[in-house]
Amino acid sequence: MAPHPSRRSFLLGAASITALVPLASCSGGTDKPAAVQDTQPAKGLDIQGVNFTYDPNTLVNNGDPITLDWWLWDSDEKFSAFADAYQRIHPNVQINVVNQPWDDYWTKLPLALQGQDGPAIFNIHNSHHENVLPYCEAYDVDLEALSQDFVGVDGHLVDGKVYYMDYGLMTGLIYYNKSMWEAAGLTEADVPVTWDEFRTVARKLTIRDGDSFQQAGFNFNTSAYVLLLGKHYQSGDNLFDTSGQQVQLDTDTVKADLAFLTDLYDVDKVGSPDFGNNSDEAFGQGLSAMTYNWGHFYGTLKKDYPSIDFGTFRTPVATKGEEPYAYDRYNGESTFGINKNAPEGARQVAQDFLTFFLTSNDLLVQLCLNYSLFPSSLALADNSEVKEHPVTSVLGSIDRYVWPGPMPATVEDNTKIAVSDVLYNGVAIDKALATATSTIDADIAKTEFAAVENLYVHADEAKG
Amino acid sequence: MSKRLQTIVLEGVLLVLGVTTVFPFVWMLFSAFKPNSEIRSLDQTLLPRQWTLENFLGLQDTFDFVRFFANSLGVALAITAVTIYTSCLCGYVLAKYRFRGRNAIFGFILGTMMIPWAVTIIPRYTMFEAWGLRDSYLSLILPAVLSGFGIFMLRQSMADVPDAILEAARIDGASEIYIFHRIVLPMSRNPISALTIFQFLWAWEDYLWPYLMIDSEDKQVLAVGLTTFSGRYGTDYGGLFAATTISVLPVLIVYLIFQKRFIAGAAAAAVKG
Repeated sequence: MAPHPSRRSFLLGAASITALVPLASCSGGTDKPAAVQDTQPAKGLDIQGVNFTYDPNTLVNNGDPITLDWWLWDSDEKFSAFADAYQRIHPNVQINVVNQPWDDYWTKLPLALQGQDGPAIFNIHNSHHENVLPYCEAYDVDLEALSQDFVGVDGHLVDGKVYYMDYGLMTGLIYYNKSMWEAAGLTEADVPVTWDEFRTVARKLTIRDGDSFQQAGFNFNTSAYVLLLGKHYQSGDNLFDTSGQQVQLDTDTVKADLAFLTDLYDVDKVGSPDFGNNSDEAFGQGLSAMTYNWGHFYGTLKKDYPSIDFGTFRTPVATKGEEPYAYDRYNGESTFGINKNAPEGARQVAQDFLTFFLTSNDLLVQLCLNYSLFPSSLALADNSEVKEHPVTSVLGSIDRYVWPGPMPATVEDNTKIAVSDVLYNGVAIDKALATATSTIDADIAKTEFAAVENLYVHADEAKG
Repeated sequence: MSKRLQTIVLEGVLLVLGVTTVFPFVWMLFSAFKPNSEIRSLDQTLLPRQWTLENFLGLQDTFDFVRFFANSLGVALAITAVTIYTSCLCGYVLAKYRFRGRNAIFGFILGTMMIPWAVTIIPRYTMFEAWGLRDSYLSLILPAVLSGFGIFMLRQSMADVPDAILEAARIDGASEIYIFHRIVLPMSRNPISALTIFQFLWAWEDYLWPYLMIDSEDKQVLAVGLTTFSGRYGTDYGGLFAATTISVLPVLIVYLIFQKRFIAGAAAAAVKG
């Protein structure tokens, strides 16, 4: 037997088999559900919206079947409701809602949007503004009508165009344990309006056994940095200077605010950095009577700590009866982006779906309540469900909350480090804030970020 | 210290290490039967105070668990089968054939093991997209077709197969394909078993590449599905533990099937002589 020719044949054959095995197990391409032809433009449906309107009595994509992918990271059933409602009006459109994990969504999305096969529409979070904006198509909308019906559209203008905006607004408030409240002899009349009243209430809610805590009156161990950034506005100062690119953390106002917070622990003894060092969990586990957090905490408490009977009230202010420059800042939950590289038909349907989305008030209310958001649609400001919701009801008017713009992560990250350094590492307030300021400024200088605090409706009242 | 005492001490240390290693898994297993409020409560117990099957019954609500599980199983089995075969093939060629550049090729294969996968993931993504392979199982299987580690492992093992056996087979008229499949592969069962366990585990737990490549939910794998339990504002630990508990089963089964030969392979490698 001649070894060489058979060895060569063997190698060739083996290589061919190697190549064929995976091919045999492949399944390429996507299997999208087929939509049907729509031939009925006049459906006898009402026009939606006030100034910014949607007419459902039209054909989209000429009634031809079309499929769009919609990528998002959370609560797909609330978003699916929009897709389902739209598909009932336009049966020729199939919108595939594809749920993605939040953490890696921001890795995959920009990669997918670079090609031709990325999703036609995709949910955006403004913290990733710079990553996704290059792939977004501008909204084809009447900006004047949009601004008449929605809060904060101006803040989202990029070169005079909107690529995404807010459908709901989230901000901070105080959560309190009702059982502990009653046990301390407090009533609804004791809900504090000022920070001084808050201190008193927090002291009453604190239970100590000598030097050790049994119950913290107020625990801000996880959320102090968020509270600090919000409290800033109550003093009348903006978070950024007039250029919108330099943070104003190293100021007497912020130093006083941070000193106020540390005094709550050091002087008033209503809590400790080491007692329930995760203030979210500590509140849920019944270790602390009050905590500060943003609206989303309501959903966490309902889901993970159903036995906690809690209430909410608006963050206190300096002076009773005096409206502050702003109660806090808010951040928006953004409307979806439209892929500028998607096929033209898909982009047109996406634009049509966007208008439908923004004018579907019933669905918008449900979406906002799901995340404890204040709707940005002015038509929903007086909605009974919004007014009764434990989070949105206590905020009052969203008119007194500032949106600084899509917040670069460095701001919260470094403020958090500064507060932790003060609380846990004994760093002086001056030094911690100075370090945070210089780091944030250096990071922001590398980006296109510019705060839009100047667009706040009460911006003329700012002291600094 | 007497030998018996040494054994007792050693076994005691191993027992402590073993319990420490296994305890988190056991804790996860029992926690899968707890409601979320109990998992997050301050007062923790190993056994659930309130047993519930809700976490298991609700799995299908979070994502199509059965579908994802089946996808993972199919992809992991395909990858494992293909990798084992190509590793054996390449290992055999590098171990038993003499040709120019053999050592350079082996060196190159070893070199591929030293490049962090994260460095290649973006160009690989671009390449697969250009080939139109996104959202296909082929995109998951192709990158695993050739395993540097597998080739290295099998090459080292097959080098120990006596040349005399192969020559005897050739003299008896056996073809190269016959020799490879009927003589070399059966003699390599121990390293193949070890590689099967490793490769199946790696394919089963691979997350980022399947996540980047697969867009359709009906083709997605379980490792990606598990991450949907962690939202922006919190994690459904009960659901996550229940899903993870079930997802561990295929790996355990593969290990139980191949463990005897895996241990034999490891022992043989340890007592080389």
